[in-house]
Amino acid sequence: MYKSIDDINERIRDGSVRVVTAEEMPDIVDELGVSGALREVDVVTTGTFGAMCSSGAFLNFGHSEIPIRMEKMWLNGVEAYAGIAAVDCYIGATQESITKGIEYGGAHVIEDLIAGKAVELRARGKGTDCYPRQSITNEFTLADLNQAIMLNPRNSYQCYNAATNMTNRPIKTYMGYLLPGHRNITYSGAGALSPLPNDPTFSVIGSGTPIFLGGANGTVVGEGTQHSPGAGFGTLMTTGDIKEMSLEYIRAATMTGYGVTMYVGVGVPIPLLNEDIVKHTAVRDEDLVTSIVDYGTQFRDRPVVKKVTYQELKSGSVEIDGEEIKTSPLSSYKKAREVANELKARIENGSFLMASATRPINAVKKNRPMSEHGVVRRVSEMMVATFVTITGEKSVKEAATLLLKANTNHLPVIDAENRLTGIVTTFDISKAFARDEEDRSVSNIMTRNVITAVPDEPVDLAARRLLQHNIGALVVVDPAKKVLGMLNSQDLGDLVGERWHQ
Amino acid sequence: MKLMVTFDREGVQDANIANAILKSGVPVNVERAQIDGDDGWTLLDVADDKAEMFIAALRHPGVEVRIQKDAVSHNITECVDCGLCISICQKQVFSFDDSWQLQVNSERCVLCGRCATYCPQRALSLQK
Ligand code: SF4
Ligand code: SF4
Repeated sequence: MYKSIDDINERIRDGSVRVVTAEEMPDIVDELGVSGALREVDVVTTGTFGAMCSSGAFLNFGHSEIPIRMEKMWLNGVEAYAGIAAVDCYIGATQESITKGIEYGGAHVIEDLIAGKAVELRARGKGTDCYPRQSITNEFTLADLNQAIMLNPRNSYQCYNAATNMTNRPIKTYMGYLLPGHRNITYSGAGALSPLPNDPTFSVIGSGTPIFLGGANGTVVGEGTQHSPGAGFGTLMTTGDIKEMSLEYIRAATMTGYGVTMYVGVGVPIPLLNEDIVKHTAVRDEDLVTSIVDYGTQFRDRPVVKKVTYQELKSGSVEIDGEEIKTSPLSSYKKAREVANELKARIENGSFLMASATRPINAVKKNRPMSEHGVVRRVSEMMVATFVTITGEKSVKEAATLLLKANTNHLPVIDAENRLTGIVTTFDISKAFARDEEDRSVSNIMTRNVITAVPDEPVDLAARRLLQHNIGALVVVDPAKKVLGMLNSQDLGDLVGERWHQ
Repeated sequence: MKLMVTFDREGVQDANIANAILKSGVPVNVERAQIDGDDGWTLLDVADDKAEMFIAALRHPGVEVRIQKDAVSHNITECVDCGLCISICQKQVFSFDDSWQLQVNSERCVLCGRCATYCPQRALSLQK
């Protein structure tokens, strides 16, 4: 048996359409079988409500008396991209305010507009014969705009990695706060209620597919940026009219230590046209597998700690190394359900119709990493291989002499096997002298927890570590903790400075 | 139950908590403390049925005790029920009910402040 989009729209119009949410579908298929379910159900609604950084809006202000071509623009202190035409801009959700930082960003501007609040516009242009004005400050509300079109380059991930942190310091990420020593796991997405897991082959979702976006009836533009369905990571580019949106389904958010983001509610209806589609919508959380990855790794390819299903993630804890680790979603399942149910209600009351896609979305494509042509500088190239070390039993006085002779500020302390056990700096030494402790041994005054680097890591990572710990040098060690060299902030500073001046 | 004990300049001079433990024989768990020369506060956990006895023993000039109840306040209009706070808090203060709505069991809170800092909606705040 087959159904056409027209058949379904006919039933929506005459009020006989049968709509269920993706949560209800697996049981229906179990009970009625695939063909029975196809006969019985016309549309399955999906929903998700999560932090979707890659979102934003086009705004059109209309022309001012004495026209200006706005080239640089700030909305409530948040810069919007104005390199479009005279009076348009694109405001990105993650752009941060020049005064309030991560507490207020593009997402908050969009939220304020939806709330009906006035937003301050400041803009400048160079002034031309056709656009003589050079600057403008004005207040506007959503109602004053000709268009406020949300256009989100990347929404509604098919599936997303869960995050944990294997390092020994807490980290602040777009996946939330991750405690050291993998003491928590965060994940995003509504699992089997999410749109793309219900149509992984993109047999119905394509350009032009009508969707629910932030409370408005919106549309799929096409594949999203970084779309990678071949790896299970398909994404959608979506659009909708902000004037129809509601704060129930769009919320600005701040991930402390990371930045601004926007919670977006997306719901996609899946018209059941044939048995294949029915089978896909019967997906359950236990069928959806994702990876828990270590966000403590600062490289692109983060190690997978464990593979899990959404059922496990949603259960509240996952076992790692024999320990039960608590899980937290960062998307809202309650809201995802509200999206799916609201979409269902709109279809049932005839205010939302199905449509065929006008252009299919590639279902096998894989995302590529950046093709980098610049050379990545490694620590081994920048480190100083001529360095002096000292052993722990030597006296502070001996250390002082050594530092002076070698004209350095940092003295790695090693044991009999040449392994790093600590570090003393000129500051430690001066402190010891000031306290009349120059006869003590180096091991008494050294710092034991030495911040180190490894030779093949990129210098940018090492530079960030120097900054984070506010120190002047890193000891470069091999896996056996043997000292190989020193990396000084001064050398790195020269490198970074040189790069920016080019 | 949790007791918030605050000391003023006078109260901070003596070993008030140690004395109260000895006097009442009630074991307490110090969950957090911030005390310097001038004043300070500490959060104690004590068994519900022993609390009264312990509070009586702690009575001393310069020492104030109150039962810490609603340590975290939860703004339900701001909250989107994402649940991010659940695994951040190691004291099991947060959980979901059957409808995936956030539940807050403030009683267990030790006022570490983490949830309030990392809630993406700024929907949590601490009451000290
Ligand atoms: S982290 Fe904040 S928004 Fe999310 S559930 Fe907790 S209180 Fe609500
Ligand atoms: S303040 Fe700390 S202990 Fe209290 S609820 Fe928040 S995270 Fe948990």
